[in-house]
Amino acid sequence: MTRATGVQEPAGRAESAEGSEPDYRFTFANERTFLAWGRTSLALIGGGLAVIQLLPPFPGIPWGRHLIGTPLILLGGAVAVISYVEWKADQRALRLGAPLPPSRLPRMLAATITAIALLAAALALASAVHSN
Amino acid sequence: MSATDGTGEKVQNADTGLARERTELAWTRTTVSFAALGGVILKVSPVVGLVIMVLSVVIWELGRRSHSAGTGSRPGRLGLVTATITTTALVTLTLTLLEW
Repeated sequence: MTRATGVQEPAGRAESAEGSEPDYRFTFANERTFLAWGRTSLALIGGGLAVIQLLPPFPGIPWGRHLIGTPLILLGGAVAVISYVEWKADQRALRLGAPLPPSRLPRMLAATITAIALLAAALALASAVHSN
Repeated sequence: MSATDGTGEKVQNADTGLARERTELAWTRTTVSFAALGGVILKVSPVVGLVIMVLSVVIWELGRRSHSAGTGSRPGRLGLVTATITTTALVTLTLTLLEW
């Protein structure tokens, strides 16, 4: 056991068919990235639920809140699954000393949230027109 | 990794286990996020909300066990976190659709 780090350092690199154990700092960094995406998932789920439960109904469009909130909740679930898949792929790349595969999540998240924002704006305008 | 100090000599970047501490903090933040979501769901369904808040303790324990091992989490533990979040999403969706 190393006193400075409190981490058990293996006597030699653990060899397996899937490469060798990477520096523990890279493993922890990968894990923290996964957890950050997990918190993003939870925030999306909570945001979707809040839209449905806390917002007043759009005048003339009773299903408006569900139209915005449901994709947010689904996106939260999708981000959780994809982040785990990417964590595994990154860990494998670290073990093999290969370049990390590019992440799909930033683009997916940006595109989906932009689409939902446009939808929310359209719903708000439509309900304003309807109430007038 | 190394850096140079004012005299131009290379200084060892001694890692004193801060990566592990940062990871512990990340698990703590994740636990708090779970508990917060459980609190929000309490308004919709007290039972489900309480279950999620209890699950946040499970998440915290998973994190504690993983970083006490010293070398990061096994896939099973992180898979369990993913399954918990995904199940939470599906249950939340079901609750909102049932209310509708």
